[in-house]
Amino acid sequence: MITGDRIFGLVVILVALAYVASATQIQTSFLSDPVGPRAFPILIGCVAAICGLVMILRPDPEADWPGLRTLGRLAVALVALVVYAYLLKPLGFLIPTAVVAALLGYQIRPRAAPAILSGIGLSVGLFVIFRFALGLGLVALPRALMG
Amino acid sequence: MDILSNLALGFSIALSPFTLMLAVVGAFVGTIIGALPGLGPSNGVAILIPLAFTMGLDATSSLVLLTSVYYGAMYGGRISSILLNIPGDEPALMTTLDGYPMAKQGRAGDALVISGVASFVGAFFATIGLMILAPMLARVAYFFGPAEYFALYLLAFCTLGGMASQNQAKAALAACLGLGIAMIGLDNNTGMPRFTYGNLHLMDGVDFLVAIVGLFAIAEVFFFIESHGRDSAVGVKLGKITIPVKDIIGSTGAMLRSTVIGFFAGVLPGAGASLGSFMAYMAQKAIDPDKASYGKGNPRGVAAPEAGNNAAAGGALVPMLTLGVPGSGTTAVLLALLMTLNITPGPTLFTDRPDVVWGLIASLLIANVVLLVMNVPMVKIFVKVLMVPAWILMPGVTMVSFVGIYSLTGSYFDLVLMIAFGALGYVLRKLDVPTVPVILGILLGNQMENALRRAMTLSDGDWTYLFSTPIAIGLWVAAIAGFVAPMFLRGVMKKPAIADADDLAD
Amino acid sequence: MKFTLLKALGTSAAISLMATSSGWAAECIAPANPGGGWDFTCRQVGKILYDLKLVDAPVQVTNMAGAGGGLAYSTVVNDRSEDANLIVAASSATTTRLAQNAFGGATADQVRFVGAIGADPGVIVVAKDSPFQTLGDMVEAIKADPGSVAFAGGSAVGGFDHMKPLQVLKAAGFNDITKIKYISVDGGADAITQTVGGFTQAMTGDMSEIVGFIKSGEVRALAVLTEERVPGFDDIPTAREQGFDVVAVNWRGLYVPKGISDEAFNGWADKLKAVAESDEWKASMEANGLAPFTLVGAEFQTWIDDVVAETVTLSKEIGVIQ
Repeated sequence: MITGDRIFGLVVILVALAYVASATQIQTSFLSDPVGPRAFPILIGCVAAICGLVMILRPDPEADWPGLRTLGRLAVALVALVVYAYLLKPLGFLIPTAVVAALLGYQIRPRAAPAILSGIGLSVGLFVIFRFALGLGLVALPRALMG
Repeated sequence: MDILSNLALGFSIALSPFTLMLAVVGAFVGTIIGALPGLGPSNGVAILIPLAFTMGLDATSSLVLLTSVYYGAMYGGRISSILLNIPGDEPALMTTLDGYPMAKQGRAGDALVISGVASFVGAFFATIGLMILAPMLARVAYFFGPAEYFALYLLAFCTLGGMASQNQAKAALAACLGLGIAMIGLDNNTGMPRFTYGNLHLMDGVDFLVAIVGLFAIAEVFFFIESHGRDSAVGVKLGKITIPVKDIIGSTGAMLRSTVIGFFAGVLPGAGASLGSFMAYMAQKAIDPDKASYGKGNPRGVAAPEAGNNAAAGGALVPMLTLGVPGSGTTAVLLALLMTLNITPGPTLFTDRPDVVWGLIASLLIANVVLLVMNVPMVKIFVKVLMVPAWILMPGVTMVSFVGIYSLTGSYFDLVLMIAFGALGYVLRKLDVPTVPVILGILLGNQMENALRRAMTLSDGDWTYLFSTPIAIGLWVAAIAGFVAPMFLRGVMKKPAIADADDLAD
Repeated sequence: MKFTLLKALGTSAAISLMATSSGWAAECIAPANPGGGWDFTCRQVGKILYDLKLVDAPVQVTNMAGAGGGLAYSTVVNDRSEDANLIVAASSATTTRLAQNAFGGATADQVRFVGAIGADPGVIVVAKDSPFQTLGDMVEAIKADPGSVAFAGGSAVGGFDHMKPLQVLKAAGFNDITKIKYISVDGGADAITQTVGGFTQAMTGDMSEIVGFIKSGEVRALAVLTEERVPGFDDIPTAREQGFDVVAVNWRGLYVPKGISDEAFNGWADKLKAVAESDEWKASMEANGLAPFTLVGAEFQTWIDDVVAETVTLSKEIGVIQ
């Protein structure tokens, strides 16, 4: 039973249809050119839907999907990255980077002590490089702590 | 000869112990910046422009420093492509296809040396081409109107069939995905927002760097978590680093052909380095009898795109210097530099300011030689990256990606988008959908649509306008041939062999 | 990668530290990619400010492209409204978009306009072998067959470059603006390329974009859209003397965040004035076809308010907005 490609093909068709529907809603201007802003996106959506259909009809052999535990680990990593993205500005570079780098390291090789050490090392090392060698304007610590 | 005396003038301006030192520093810094995912040549040059002024450098010294950074970054982009399967910048995209498989086989050093030599060949001959042909080639841009550009982009997408995985629909789907993402943002023709849903961050569309770093770097991290770093190049026993003379000689033809293709792609303002390396790779694969080995670590598959993209970088200087039209993001930064130095590129630059032009050409040649010489010892340093354990290396790459993308606009929106691309990249690669066409779609989508709509505006909606010039017709014929040929060959040759040959998604 | 990078530090830190060591550095945001007019303003003004020792560290130029300047505008209004070390490049494109409500509801009074330091005259040019010898020839041809002349310009449809030919035709009594062909390309140089290549019949843009091409003789300017002929380009007639009363000049200047003190605002105004009066800026203007136009401080703010109001009226009159 081949499911991966078929499910994906179905998702593609649904997304493509939503995309086409959304494209028909694009406002146009009375100054528009002969083609207008809708034609090209609609064309792309239709081609994508056809591709999705082909995937349903002629799927490839099933991919080797990871087990639930691994999927859980991937989800943790994904959430950690998103949280990191939001914390980078308010908390500065050093603390979130150390925590997330350690977490990712732990996910790849589950040993706590080396992961924490490498997280701290990466955080400080990269900060020094970016701030002083490449001159990017990174903030080290939360503004509150900096006074 | 005129050119030789001009070149002598250029070297008399650009060659001194001090500028040589600047070239070495610039080449080194550029290589590092180029190798970091998310930081490309544009960042490198942009970061160093203020530095050049702080140091009180004169115009020539600034040019030497910044062109070294420029070419250095073009060289550096290949390093993370080969070692980590993460393109350092967009022209290095194609180098992942054969470079990373070589690294997995323990031939990372060979791949770096071959691509280094290919970069040199591409850049060196492109500089010569710039020297001899620039005033003539400037006119090429005049022959490319909207209809011709549309046919050119179509050609790029039609040849995608030749690189697809077993399932051609997947390559087409990937291209549609990229094109669809490219549509997001303000429509240039009507000023109306498309697919932005009121979000100001989406008004200017999705930055391709966000997509590249997400689809490659972040997705790679997910793969490492899944496999605990097995089945990657990290930790593979490395062969001794020698100069792979045999492979280099075997790739000479590929390098020279790709140089020509890349150079012309660079000369066309609408094409640029990414299209140059893509076309070079596809052309090389098309004429090579040993198609099956592409995507599996064929040295010629490393040489072709690298020669192509470096030649395109040189070619892109032609329209920038002679017309003031930057052919790529990086030449746009160099243009900004020239304008800061109060030099306005244009048709009279070659006659008005020969000192600037020939000084620039001389500094390009200097930067190239410095880079080639530096490359052999640097390869030894860079392959050591693979000895860093994955649980340190991959978090490091992630953090570098975050900072690189954060430095683009300073907004968390792009970071979240990058993570979303990472998740998408993971799913796509699991399903054997190639990710290269996605990037190509994002890079070229808007230009392709704009070309079509400009053409239709000029012709009042008459479709025959698209085939109205010999150049346009030629490109259409090539595009149709490129689309049909793989299907035809598939029928003629034995099926399994071709299926293997086209298996590029791993 | 970390270890390699640390080695890189040794070489590059020494030189780079100088760039970042100063705690107080002014920043100039160019709300577009490198290479355009805003980028030019930031880089030139930044360099001259440093050369004249008006700032103690080189001005850091940040390119914040997005939404035609809208992203930078909203960033300044929302996130950095009290940053006294920040200047942002602006031009007629900024006020045109504000007037046409293209910045997502932002209004011109959300920032303070410091001053203008030069003006880029609008031009309409054709390829050297074009049948049109005067602006009148072209207008007649368009009146006879609007589809026969296509314009190329660097701004979006409805933008500043598009409005120039529309204003001319309106002055000539031709009101059916949707009939006039205009394609928006990636900047002035690209527009010239398309025109010289014969894909479009005319190019509409700024003087600074065509200087090199005029000198090399590849294009001819039919008209410059100023009140009087531009010094250094005395053989280009104005539209006004050809009977079309149109003036379209692209000023180049800066704005700063709303929340800074009057003292800081006046400080920037004085610095800008000093830049405008420097020989370096004058040389730069001449090389790039800019006309002198200096207006700073409160006077400039009043002028801007008038310009925005005029643009609203004009855009409505032409029909670019409704």
